Amino acid sequence: MIEFLAASIRIATPILLAGLGGILSERAGVFAVGLEGMMLIGAFGAAIGTAMSGGDALAGLAIALAGGALAGLVVAIVAVRFRADNMVTGLSLNIVAVGLTSYLMRILSASGQPMAIHNALLPVMPIPLLSDLPWIGPLLFAHPPLTYLTIVLCVLFTLLLKRTEIGLTLRATGENPDVVFASGLNPLKVRMLAVIACGAVAGLGGAVLTTQQVGTFTDGMTSGRGYLALAALIVGRWTPYGTAAACLVFAAAEALQYRLQGFGIPVSSYVMQMIPYLIGLAVLAGLGRNAHLPAAIGRPLDRRL
Amino acid sequence: MSEGSTMAAAPPPAHRLSRLRLSWRRLSLRLGRIGLGGQIALALVLSVICSAVLILLAGKNPGLAFLAIVDGAFGSPHQIGTGLNRATPYLLAGIGVAICFRGGIINLGSEGQIAVGGAGAAAAALLTPALPAFLAIPLALAAGAAAGALWSGLAAAIHLKRRVHEVLATLLLNFVALLLVQQLLAGVLGQTGAGFLQSPLMPRNVWLPKLAGWDAHLGIVIAVAAAALSSFLLWRTPFGFGLRVSGASRLAGAYAGFSLPRLTWSAMLLAGALAGLAGGIEILGLHHRLIEGFSLGFGFKAVTVALIGAIEPVAIIPAALFIGFLETGSLAMQRQIGVPTALVTVIEGLTMIFVLVAMSGRRR
Repeated sequence: MIEFLAASIRIATPILLAGLGGILSERAGVFAVGLEGMMLIGAFGAAIGTAMSGGDALAGLAIALAGGALAGLVVAIVAVRFRADNMVTGLSLNIVAVGLTSYLMRILSASGQPMAIHNALLPVMPIPLLSDLPWIGPLLFAHPPLTYLTIVLCVLFTLLLKRTEIGLTLRATGENPDVVFASGLNPLKVRMLAVIACGAVAGLGGAVLTTQQVGTFTDGMTSGRGYLALAALIVGRWTPYGTAAACLVFAAAEALQYRLQGFGIPVSSYVMQMIPYLIGLAVLAGLGRNAHLPAAIGRPLDRRL
Repeated sequence: MSEGSTMAAAPPPAHRLSRLRLSWRRLSLRLGRIGLGGQIALALVLSVICSAVLILLAGKNPGLAFLAIVDGAFGSPHQIGTGLNRATPYLLAGIGVAICFRGGIINLGSEGQIAVGGAGAAAAALLTPALPAFLAIPLALAAGAAAGALWSGLAAAIHLKRRVHEVLATLLLNFVALLLVQQLLAGVLGQTGAGFLQSPLMPRNVWLPKLAGWDAHLGIVIAVAAAALSSFLLWRTPFGFGLRVSGASRLAGAYAGFSLPRLTWSAMLLAGALAGLAGGIEILGLHHRLIEGFSLGFGFKAVTVALIGAIEPVAIIPAALFIGFLETGSLAMQRQIGVPTALVTVIEGLTMIFVLVAMSGRRR
């Protein structure tokens, strides 16, 4: 049971990181459909960065962060600056990300085949003492480093959004940009920065896949996790803890699938894989009218510079 | 030039500020003068330039690579036929996406709708093996369109009844649809012992006939006809008018007495039916069996095509042909020059981004 829950936490990590990034973007009023592409670029950056630097995972993470931020910058320019439709902008970023990562993987190796990368996975780092606690120890304190980072970020983002002026400005930009403008700040700039930060965090989420779970980059390896993150952050009502809970439920469904197959229970893996999406749809449908979207989300801002 | 001190007062008129510096606004005003067609052409040129840089990055000659694409796309009747076949599903699904776009509905679910449509057509074809072709083909295509409409109807229902944003509903249903088709192929529709998820080969009488002298099948004719009909629907009927008015302004649409839910239902069902038809045509015309992942990426390309075609059904014809031939040609580029075909996806995505920027000045 503990093992199953711990596995859920590990599977939830990349989705939650992307979701946390998405919260920044959506709270500032920009739909985060581009999460999938940001994750993919982050995953690619981490794999390439680690391999090129001779196995330095930190270099990989830095490149993932930078790559994600760059993807965020593109969305910021097109969707915020040029007021293009958020959804379609995000979608185009996802397409560019698929093409670009796959293309670069091939031209980086001379043979025209995808470059072969095998990085060492980030090791599990049990926290001394705490990890010896019964139940909670193996569940919360025996994970690879990025999982800890995600948990910390989850708490930090909650504090940031609820208790700081930055968070207030961010939320106000998503709810009523005119108020932000009236208070002497530039909502356009807030949105752009939020989307860039969203890209950086989501890129880190993608890096979890390559540095902590797989060790190599394959084409389109995010396979819908970005969209799941998007669903999770809405199900979690744009709060870090709520999003974390939603990600854990999605991840538990995936972990359960491996379990059941391991026990030889004849369960269709296709149906099991549908479960996160169905849960997402069901919860979204259940939230229905009560779901409170940031009021100004998706609404383009005038250029008041 | 006293900007700093007037911050607290009312913001100065935008036109005066925009004269002060070379602003984004000024840039887009300039672009506005070349018309929508010109803007889209410019977007295409820009994305081709970007891809030329990427080809240089690979240490290859962009000129040769583009020549190889043209040669690979138009070098022989066979290749032209392949390009036409390739363009067909993009055209059909793209029309559906465009109709939704016109009504302010963003339907990103073509991928799932195509997959389900293909499954519907395959099921109908496999269930009625003995019918003559003139009955079997329309029946299978109708089943495909119905299945696609069912799937988009599901998204429309979730959107309208439960107020879930249509992008999320359609996106999430894509994944469900792809898995559903895999489940069908692993079960009732599947061919046992194939080693690969696929249905048995369909009886020859449901194969779409080829156009005389070409390798292209009938699909492209159906798709072009659908484009013409959709254009008529959009510009010459009350339904099209209501859709465009409501798309431009929900308020104006409601005030003019158009029912938004009804328009949304019609647009979504129509888009789903077109995408389902695309799936059916792909199965009956090209693969002659249902195979796993046959629709992978189609839905997103449909959005690309709809945007390049300025969300106008007839203009989507050249847009779909462009993408279709680009993809066919890129195979030759990979073979002859060694530039990976993934470049095409980059071109598609970049074109979308540039078109979005180019269109940003105007309202849909």
